[in-house]
Amino acid sequence: MKTCIISGASSGIGRETAILISKKGMFDNIVLIGRNQQELERTKELMFVRDANISVWNIDLEEPEKIPDIIKKIYSKYLSIDCLLNIAGYTEPQPILSTSLNNIQITYAVNVFSPLILIREAVRYMKKNGGKIVNIASTAGMGPRPGWITYSSSKAAMISISQTLTEELAEYGIKVYCVSPGRCATKLRAKLAPDEDSAMIMQPVEVAKVITNLLLEDEQYLDGQNIVIRKRLT
Amino acid sequence: MYSAILLSGGKGKRVRKEIPKQYLLLAGKPIIMHSLERIDKLSEVEEIIIVCEKKYEQEISQMAKQYMIEKPLKFVQNGETRQESVYQGLLKTKSDNVLIHEAARPFAVLDDYRNLIKAEKSNAILGCSIPYTVLKGQKYVKDILNRAELVNVQLPQKFIKSPLLEAHKKARKECVKFTEDASLLFYYDKTDIEIVNGSSFNIKITEPMDLIMGEKIYYEYIARRK
Repeated sequence: MKTCIISGASSGIGRETAILISKKGMFDNIVLIGRNQQELERTKELMFVRDANISVWNIDLEEPEKIPDIIKKIYSKYLSIDCLLNIAGYTEPQPILSTSLNNIQITYAVNVFSPLILIREAVRYMKKNGGKIVNIASTAGMGPRPGWITYSSSKAAMISISQTLTEELAEYGIKVYCVSPGRCATKLRAKLAPDEDSAMIMQPVEVAKVITNLLLEDEQYLDGQNIVIRKRLT
Repeated sequence: MYSAILLSGGKGKRVRKEIPKQYLLLAGKPIIMHSLERIDKLSEVEEIIIVCEKKYEQEISQMAKQYMIEKPLKFVQNGETRQESVYQGLLKTKSDNVLIHEAARPFAVLDDYRNLIKAEKSNAILGCSIPYTVLKGQKYVKDILNRAELVNVQLPQKFIKSPLLEAHKKARKECVKFTEDASLLFYYDKTDIEIVNGSSFNIKITEPMDLIMGEKIYYEYIARRK
């Protein structure tokens, strides 16, 4: 029985990924974690495989200290954790002189601390049989983004975390992927670029397709890259 | 079934660090955990006896919990010498067979343990050929040794417990010192001890340079091993 945990499945890339992996029947158990129960239940309704065990677990990623207990409960229920998709993200873009400690703390809690704790706890169980971890960073983490300091720096951290853990967890047969989407039509992007026409940029399902391909059993050779996904101009 | 004895009492004076080498990080993981995680995967092992200084017991227990070590661990206070540490460890074992390993050898892979366990003889060691010339003597050359007849003795090693324990008791009584257990058992028992092919990567972390080489060995030989 294979189990996949997805954070950020209440909308955007997380929701599209949950739908796609359920459609492909890649896991026996799919665990959607987050705090927006209503939207996670909606994602569950949209998922194709009705006979897979799809469950919704209430975790507020602004409170990473509560994660270990929940991961333990998830493992106790399904007896395996084979895949972790860290897709949830948060941003409240502010220039350095306007940003608050609270904004920095929430951004880092959701984008860095919670993914790290999720990884730590999942790896305790995953290390026995190997597995895959996909971390969603951003092209914003690869270069300067004035005005987005908390978000871009948190995504830079995610890229670094992924590169380090690729090496640290290789011995356990755990593959760590870092995916950095460019402009993608999500709620988060709408906060960063409110005037942008979302129809003109990359759609979440395109990122979901890349993530899903990484989860295929055949994919064993990508190793340590930060995988950048962008829509080509036509 | 086997009881595994993991020797972790070394002081690490030669690596010139504050803490013993077996607790230093190698590739981001305490050196002792490299061995502990692998021994934990061996279905033939029913318990792990860790021989260490008393003050490190709690730290090792905590690490074992963090790394989800499943086999039961027993702790034994190390002796003044390596030989005494093994003896104290043997006294705590419950299985009829023992695997002896040292925490400062983090590159013994699962295949090494399994090859040893499935070796024909019940007493077996890992060993490698010696790629350099060895002469007898200290200040002056006293004799020529034929390296083709010699073996570089490695760990892990496996033994039937009772004859090894008896040999240890004799050695204690006679105050005879050995640097490892195949020598001790052979000296008193003259029994067949099989030599299983080891690997030159299975080095012991002894000198500061070994830590540098060890990182390279880890990434080239261990990290992406299937």
